[in-house]
Amino acid sequence: MQFAKAEPKSKQLRKQAGTWLKELRGRAGLSQIQLADVLGFKYYTFISQVENGFGRVPVESMEAWAKALDANPSDFAKRLLSFYEPELYRLLYEVKK
Amino acid sequence: MNVVKFPRMQQPLTQGWQSSELTKLTNACMTVPNSYVSSWEVGTTEHGDPQLYLLGPAPEHDCILSISRLGRLYVLEDGKGQVLFENDNVMMLVEQTCTALRKRKAEIVARLTVCWCTVREFFEEKVEPVLAEPIEIVTHFAPHFSALA
Repeated sequence: MQFAKAEPKSKQLRKQAGTWLKELRGRAGLSQIQLADVLGFKYYTFISQVENGFGRVPVESMEAWAKALDANPSDFAKRLLSFYEPELYRLLYEVKK
Repeated sequence: MNVVKFPRMQQPLTQGWQSSELTKLTNACMTVPNSYVSSWEVGTTEHGDPQLYLLGPAPEHDCILSISRLGRLYVLEDGKGQVLFENDNVMMLVEQTCTALRKRKAEIVARLTVCWCTVREFFEEKVEPVLAEPIEIVTHFAPHFSALA
C-alpha cells in the first residue's frame, strides 16, 4: 500500500484560511512562537500546522485565537466557518429566506 | 505557559526532512492496518523546521497527526495541537506514531459503536411501537375478517 498525495477542495480552503490567519498574525505583529505563547501551547508547531492549511483552529479556542490576533471573535469565527464549512456558511448567511 | 525554546544544534541538520526519516515514518504508518491515514504532506514552520502531516480520509483530508523536528527534538501532535510525544529518538517516535494511530482507530470504532447503539435504541423506543401498532390491529381484527369471509 502506498499513500497518495492529497489535493482536494477542502484542503485548498484550509490553505486559504491558513493564509488569512498568517496575515492576521502579521498585522498583530506576532511571530508563530509569540502566538503559541499567548494561546498557551508548549510548541509553536500547531500554529504552523494551521497556517500551512493542514490543521483547523478548534472551535473551543476560536475566541482565544481571535483575541490574540486582535480580531472580533464573532467575525473571526464566521470567516473561519466560510473556509472550514463552506456549505454550512452558505446556508446560514447566504441563502435568502 | 512559555513556549519551549528548543536547543539549537551546534552543527545544524539539513533543512527539511531527510529521506531516511521520512521513509521510516511513512513506512511505519503503512504497517498500522486501517489507520485512516490516506496521504501525507510535508511543510515547514516559520523558522524552517520540517513538519510531516498525516492526513485522514477524503473528502476532508484533515490532519490526523503532525510530526515536527525542532532541532534534534521530534514533536508528535494530534490535529488539535495536543502534544502526544516529544523525544529525540526517531525509533521511539515511530513507535509512538503507530500507537497514536492505533488509539485513533480504537476511538473511531468506539464512537461508531456509541452511534449505532443510539440509533438502535431510538428505533426500539420510537419506531418499533409505531410499526407494531398496525400489526396489533390486524391481529385483533383477523378473526372478524375470517368470520366474514
